[in-house]
Amino acid sequence: MASCVIALILTGMPLKFKEAFWAPYLYNLFGGIHVAPIVHKVAGSTLLLLFAYHLIYVFVTIMENYIMPLKQKGQLSAGNVIKTLINLPIIPSLKDLEDIRDLLKYLLFISDKPPEGAQFTWKEKFDYWAPFWGIVIIGSSGLIMWNKELVTRVLPGEVINFALIAHSDEALLAMLFLFIWHFYNVHFSLSVFPMGTVFLTGYLSEEQMAEEHHQQYREVMTAAGLEDQMLPHHGTRPQKDAGEDVPTPAEDSVSDLSGEAKSTDN
Amino acid sequence: MTLKQILKSVGGLCIAVLCFTLFLPLSASAADIGNCLLCHKYPGLSRVDEEGNFRLLYVNEDIFRQSVHSKIKCEGCHEDIKKIPHDPVKKVDCFIQCHVVEPSTEKKFSHKDVQSFLEASVHAKVDEYGNHKKFSEDMPTCLDCHDNPLYRPLSFFKTVRPGISETAAGRCRVCHKKDEFIYRFYNHITTRLHKIRNPRNVAEVCARCHDNPEIVERHEMTTRAAYSYGETFHGKAAFFLSERVPDCLDCHVNRGQSVHQMLSSSNPNSITHKNNKEMICSNLDCHPKATPGFSAYKVHPEFNLEKSPAKYYFTAFFLILAGGTLLPLMGMMGLDLIRRLFPHAALKRRKKS
Repeated sequence: MASCVIALILTGMPLKFKEAFWAPYLYNLFGGIHVAPIVHKVAGSTLLLLFAYHLIYVFVTIMENYIMPLKQKGQLSAGNVIKTLINLPIIPSLKDLEDIRDLLKYLLFISDKPPEGAQFTWKEKFDYWAPFWGIVIIGSSGLIMWNKELVTRVLPGEVINFALIAHSDEALLAMLFLFIWHFYNVHFSLSVFPMGTVFLTGYLSEEQMAEEHHQQYREVMTAAGLEDQMLPHHGTRPQKDAGEDVPTPAEDSVSDLSGEAKSTDN
Repeated sequence: MTLKQILKSVGGLCIAVLCFTLFLPLSASAADIGNCLLCHKYPGLSRVDEEGNFRLLYVNEDIFRQSVHSKIKCEGCHEDIKKIPHDPVKKVDCFIQCHVVEPSTEKKFSHKDVQSFLEASVHAKVDEYGNHKKFSEDMPTCLDCHDNPLYRPLSFFKTVRPGISETAAGRCRVCHKKDEFIYRFYNHITTRLHKIRNPRNVAEVCARCHDNPEIVERHEMTTRAAYSYGETFHGKAAFFLSERVPDCLDCHVNRGQSVHQMLSSSNPNSITHKNNKEMICSNLDCHPKATPGFSAYKVHPEFNLEKSPAKYYFTAFFLILAGGTLLPLMGMMGLDLIRRLFPHAALKRRKKS
């Protein structure tokens, strides 16, 4: 997915910024005007297929883990399904707004308490839903431009103009979002530098867990009976006045924890 | 045979030999019969004319020999030059008759037909009633679009590529004996089988006037044509030197007609007229499956509230979305970096548990 996005950016941006000094060099690196568009289409198609796979995967997962149990309990109704879907951990919630408010208070030195993230923090949800929207917009507009003869049998030709604007401007936003916000959060931030590895291993370190997903960390540690071995939250002073040093988690507890603390952060 | 007859024959022969020795070497060398390059070969040759403009009078012989006019002698265009050194010359009239004979009619060649094409086109200085158009001085003359273009021959042996195919030239040699003749006509014909300018260069030529804000405003044109063309995929591909995408002439000239016969889009005979537009796109070489709806695509889009409000607001939405998303996030990143320097500082401390 990442390589597709990079290929799409490298073969798309020279067209958007055609007069930039680097544009012809970069475009020619991908074969110039006769080959780069093919590379772009191959990468775009691959990304759309991955997106389709992801949608199917999400659909099946939701059906297996949330809808079928409802059916087995005999509670399958439209209301219950909607309620379940709204309460999915990846869906933005009021808690995210509270976390953003707490983060701003913390960043502006108003409070010394950073937000306590749940399984998916608002940043992760942003990182998930922004590309989700991006793929829908960029993918559909790309398909319109690719199949313009077919599309204009049904829709007016000006749709292609709008598709080009949406494709190009949304791609620029997506690129900047990835290179600035996403890269900061998963590469350059002091917590993860040089790279967060959760997208490769599926596991988070306990320190990161304690810093970014503190609410879930506390729940998991409490459930495991390891409350007294919890790491302090980011920004929290070590509580030495209790007469104890900051506890260091036992190695086995880390492995126990990480098994349950899988994150979908990518 | 009488002595008189013998003398006549010998005399005729002498005149023929004299003519042969006088003219053959000159015509075989180049078009510079008047030996104009004796002076004009010097790169610094220049002067300031009566209007105060700097005029470079240097002629690069190597480039000139590669040009489509390389066989025209200098006096062929500069008719008023009768002696050397010559007086200041008049502006060249491209519509005069040349010494070249046009082989299909065997008449002296002239670009005069272009004049009649131009007079019937959107670029004419006078309207259909013979009245001078408003700002007719803005209308292009030959040199506004044409320099002295160089040959761009195509090689047609197995594959099509730029240059001269020696294999193809070998076929010419079957009938034609002089290489100079073969290369000249090879260049002449194959250069005309495609455009002398690539799409990017064509757009650049049109941009001289059609992207000039003053001219666009004076003539109440709806768009800066080359700029808006450059905003489409066609224009972008042309910028990267694709020769497969359409340029200005491909869409604005009725198929099979001279490019000088470009008609106004309000003219019902024009291919750019709203009733005919679909024929532009559905050309066999372009989008043969194009429907009338397809040709409603705006090929000259402008980011302009007055001319295209829907596109303006649509673009503005994405710009606001980008700014509204990225700026707060970047602000947070900056604050986060500062905050990490002072992790425990705060105006309100939480209560110790």
